[in-house]
Amino acid sequence: MINRSISSTNRLLGARVYAESHEWVLMNENTATVGISDHAQGMLGDVVFVDLPEVGDTAEAGNACATVESVKAASDIYAPVSGEIVEVNTALENEPSLINTSPLDNGWLFKVKVQDGEQLSELKSEDQYLATIEDE
Amino acid sequence: MATQRVVQLVRLGRMPYGTTLKIQNELVQRHLETREQSVSATMGKSSEFQQQLKLKNEHDEILDKLILVEHEPVYTIGKRTKEYTIEERQRLEALGADFYKTNRGGLITYHGPGQLVAYPILNLANYKRSINWYMCTLTKTIIGTCRQFNIEASSSSDVGVWVGNNKICAMGVHASRFITMHGIALNCNTDMTWFNHIVPCGLVGKGVTSISQELNQNVTIEDAEGPFLKSFSDSFKCEIVEM
Repeated sequence: MINRSISSTNRLLGARVYAESHEWVLMNENTATVGISDHAQGMLGDVVFVDLPEVGDTAEAGNACATVESVKAASDIYAPVSGEIVEVNTALENEPSLINTSPLDNGWLFKVKVQDGEQLSELKSEDQYLATIEDE
Repeated sequence: MATQRVVQLVRLGRMPYGTTLKIQNELVQRHLETREQSVSATMGKSSEFQQQLKLKNEHDEILDKLILVEHEPVYTIGKRTKEYTIEERQRLEALGADFYKTNRGGLITYHGPGQLVAYPILNLANYKRSINWYMCTLTKTIIGTCRQFNIEASSSSDVGVWVGNNKICAMGVHASRFITMHGIALNCNTDMTWFNHIVPCGLVGKGVTSISQELNQNVTIEDAEGPFLKSFSDSFKCEIVEM
């Protein structure tokens, strides 16, 4: 499958891959750092609060595992991959706006120890992702 | 647009908060189930077919709903629970109101008789996949409703809809895969003394008002419903159908 080979290459190159629900994943060995895309933060507006999972929690791919609140709206964030939460971005507690100012770097949400690397093949490369949001 | 957006009106009358919450969750669930079915069923089908499925489920039921309800007195808080203690909760319950912690955005608010509460359960994929856009459109809906009563209302960076320094309509929503729940609470002839016991939405130094208070005459929920539905239909560019 073409998708899989692109994702595998990205994984090796350390490039971000994206879920349809606008989260990104960046792999480092078997740990996935998860955040939301620049497009997604723009669609949310100013983020005022982030409800993160706890270290030790189990994330399940496709299930809600965090919430971001903007403009009096709480939006669910979905785990793009399954595994144990090994770290959360505590800087967001005092500075949730990092999600707006630096969605791809300082505004990361949590890190997951990935159980099943195959799940990554379901995710899109950055180019594929950007193509899907073009017509929104 | 190939398919006309349609929203089904659900009038619940006077109903306690908890019961309404269950109904909302059930309607969100129907959306999510249909969404999952349609993802697998529409592989390779035309985009028009996919559009149809988002609007209706397999039983030909319109999935986008607009719930109108009037609550018994209740204080609700959102996701941010830090500053609300057990003592605070007990103090408010002693006033004779219910108390609920919810998954919406925003801080504490009051709902009760004389307040038009609307919960749109919409799949934003049928509109625009942006929660920011959704909140702006809800705000426009309320400003347009007030205008029909010759009340000049406006939005502010604090969200909600304001008449000067006083909030006339509170807003707080939740979105899950772009399916919305919770919504707006417009004060018509609400007993405003219930707000004296809280700092609405955590905004110190701001007040609250109602349509009746602004016009100095009694305006009921029934009076406000028509103007609200017209404004909703105009702002969201949708047709509202009765059940």
